[in-house]
Amino acid sequence: MNISEPHQAIINDLQQKYPDKVLDVKEHAGATVIVRVNRDVVHDVLETLYNDHHFIYLLQVFGTDRFTSENRFEVIYHIFSLRDQVRIFVKTWLEEDNLVLPTTTDLWKAANWQEREVYDMFGVQFTGHPDLRRMFMPEDFEYYPLRKEFPPLGIPGSIQLPSTTPDTEED
Amino acid sequence: MGLESALGEGFLTTKLDAVVNWSRANAVWPMPMGLACCAIEMMAFAGPKYDASRFGSEVMRFSPRQSDLMIVAGWCTYKMSHAIRRVWDQMPDPKWCVAMGACASTGGMHRSYGVVQGCDNFLPVDAYISGCPPRPDSLLNALIKIQDKIKKEHTVLLDK
Amino acid sequence: MLEEYLPILVLVSVAIIVALVFLLLSIFLGPKRPNKWKLSPYESGMDPIGQARERYSVSFYMIAMEFIVFDLEVVFLYPWAVRFTQLGWGTFAAMMIFLVILLIGLIYTFKKGTLDWDAKPLNKPFKS
Repeated sequence: MNISEPHQAIINDLQQKYPDKVLDVKEHAGATVIVRVNRDVVHDVLETLYNDHHFIYLLQVFGTDRFTSENRFEVIYHIFSLRDQVRIFVKTWLEEDNLVLPTTTDLWKAANWQEREVYDMFGVQFTGHPDLRRMFMPEDFEYYPLRKEFPPLGIPGSIQLPSTTPDTEED
Repeated sequence: MGLESALGEGFLTTKLDAVVNWSRANAVWPMPMGLACCAIEMMAFAGPKYDASRFGSEVMRFSPRQSDLMIVAGWCTYKMSHAIRRVWDQMPDPKWCVAMGACASTGGMHRSYGVVQGCDNFLPVDAYISGCPPRPDSLLNALIKIQDKIKKEHTVLLDK
Repeated sequence: MLEEYLPILVLVSVAIIVALVFLLLSIFLGPKRPNKWKLSPYESGMDPIGQARERYSVSFYMIAMEFIVFDLEVVFLYPWAVRFTQLGWGTFAAMMIFLVILLIGLIYTFKKGTLDWDAKPLNKPFKS
């Protein structure tokens, strides 16, 4: 279960450019590597990967609620390098009271809707996002559904059903 | 006519009801509200093997103005429920509704905040079909049950 | 002689009677329960956006007009085609003159660009 050569080269490069910010490296499924970085350098790390290592393909941005008391949320970027055929997950941990990250829409256009989904489901604000609004839930929904404290069946009354008396109601 | 003043179980009234109900029952035009996988089985129900048109459901009218029966096939999300209700409101009377499959009847496997747990939360359903997805035979069975229900409808002269 | 047209009269009257019966049956036997949403315009369950009468390209009108003209030309060609062999060279010459006149008209509209589907927009402000 060792980290393969192309991945190791990239990690060495990141550790050299951002000393003490690459916090954890884990190999995953024999094919990829999950790198946890400090939240301050996320955008810079991703920009380095984009420019120097040809990670021009963003597959997904997703979030997780770890449900721990500190560093509760994490945001994970799943990117792929077409030139070197290397896949990497870059993740970062966020505290519950500081759910802000810089947007990566300047690097990948695909991040636009991905980050909207993370905002909708977890409440992570992405600064600089051109159109940060809810993706799946209606605009006036008040909760963040994929957080662990949100019940699976939802909160009664949080989302409207249509009126069943068309004669009397206005809407 | 003296008929209308004696709206009891007069011979002419019941015969008129029988004729009208028979005509309505044998020409139930469905409006498919095919939302998910049950729509495939509904297409099979309209196809040649489980032919729906031999029961009178000759065409699937996709316009609410031209149909009698709304078949809700698939799960209804909260967002879609408004559109479904609006389409239901736009159907002229008399109209009936069939909840096809587990998801339309009770929410099915989607026990979730986004899926309405049964379309009878906002629609008056006349027949429920279980199954995931139900066989087209089950949908035919429901159509026959709707036809039986239509044949027992109350006096057409009162229904103004 | 007029008796030969009796079947047509029967056909037309049966058609009118059937249509009237359907209408009257639904007027007298159909339920009437209008409400605000039942009478609203249908737009797949959404609130209607925009006007029902949209502007559309003038090319449709031009093509329809051309069709009328040339369809009438074909109507004149039909009787000649039916009795083609018995009518001889004089009629042929007359019909050729007729066709050439209409052909000149076709060349004129072709050059004018009415058959051109991608019409150039006029310099009018676009109201959206």
